[in-house]
Amino acid sequence: MEALLSGSTASAPDFGRLLWLAGSFLLALLAGCGPAEVVVKGDFPAPTMEKLPLTIGVWYSPEFTNHEFFDEAKSRTESSWLVKTGQAQVQMWNTLLAGMFTRVVPMAGRPGPGQMNPSVDAVFIPEVAELQYALPTQTNVKVYEVWIRYHLQLVTTGGTPIADWTMPAYGKTPTAFLQSDQAAVNLAAVMTLRDAGANFASNFTRVPGVQAWLDEMLNTNREATL
Amino acid sequence: MITAALRALLLGAVTCLVSGCVTSTVDQMVFNKPEHGIGNATVVILGRRHASDYDTEPDFVECVGDHIASGDKTIHVIGELEFVNEFYPWFEPRTAPLQIADLERLMQNQPVVAKRLAAMNTQYMVWLDGSTVRGDSAGSMTCAVGPGGGGCFGFGTWSSDANYEATIWDFSEHAEVGRISTTATGQSYMPAVVIPIPIIAPVQGTACDGIGDQLLQFLSSNS
Repeated sequence: MEALLSGSTASAPDFGRLLWLAGSFLLALLAGCGPAEVVVKGDFPAPTMEKLPLTIGVWYSPEFTNHEFFDEAKSRTESSWLVKTGQAQVQMWNTLLAGMFTRVVPMAGRPGPGQMNPSVDAVFIPEVAELQYALPTQTNVKVYEVWIRYHLQLVTTGGTPIADWTMPAYGKTPTAFLQSDQAAVNLAAVMTLRDAGANFASNFTRVPGVQAWLDEMLNTNREATL
Repeated sequence: MITAALRALLLGAVTCLVSGCVTSTVDQMVFNKPEHGIGNATVVILGRRHASDYDTEPDFVECVGDHIASGDKTIHVIGELEFVNEFYPWFEPRTAPLQIADLERLMQNQPVVAKRLAAMNTQYMVWLDGSTVRGDSAGSMTCAVGPGGGGCFGFGTWSSDANYEATIWDFSEHAEVGRISTTATGQSYMPAVVIPIPIIAPVQGTACDGIGDQLLQFLSSNS
């Protein structure tokens, strides 16, 4: 009987340990109630292409560098999702632009009248207009998908628009075998960013406003060389 | 004679029981086979990912590459991810050339791509297109856990179908020089008496071996 009682009572240090264990258990339970969080991480290769002989400025707004997407659960069986893409976006665009242009210069502030910025041929401003994702539990299709719609702008250092266009990007991962939902969403997001880079690199010179600006800039540079 | 046939039948039945049954067919159409193998040249094997409803699985592409490399040690197969990263963004699902003429155009517009391909000494590019899908399933299984332990009881079965096509591009000929297609179908079983025992039909593996053998025959000087 004594042995049984001693098994169920706790001394002061044991009580502390029990309290700590209970706290940990409660925290784990609370964490389980929170949203599934994905901080998108991946490697983005430099593009293999002929560089445009131009100096391009780049301005990332704070909304872009800290871009995150929150989707609240619609039912008790679903989980809320928080997908943070800002860091990966900046990493991808920096790598891509450095491979597309002779020189890339980060801007101190958003181009506009009175804003002091380094001298460049034009400033590129990417923005995420929309992000959507789909999980197999929502679609009954065995793929994880991520869509991003970008709003892209090319402006002068004074802020005058040169070109303004939207660009879609899409990525999917075929299977989540032996990986968590978070890892699969991360992979789909990385594929989407790669697709964004591919879409931008292969179509940039064909955007109407950009095409006219490029003709002008490249002809001016050619004449200056002659 | 009858004993040998019985033995073969028994062996087949045992193999079927242990790993599930798979039937496969391979078709090939090859025009310009290299007479003395590909020598020092390299070959790259890539998966098609432009369809909306399926992706060629990266592990299938890797399996075919490994099959070729292990079948003839002299053949250097460039890894898919390594190649796609090296030539980013030109072999992404959105931008990958669908015809050899598209690749020729890419090399003209982007000389740096042509230079890198030449530096890699890539003579053949093999595109794999297809996927393995799970088909009909039947049976039922119930599992329960109690204070004394747990277990499952029941039987499940499902079919899998693999359908792949390999297209071979020859850079020196600037042409498509062959097409190999393979289909494999298999039935997997999962009986459960306390513990579920999966007997999985290696459908994708069989398709990989089928297409790998034909590609090896095409590329290797040993065949």
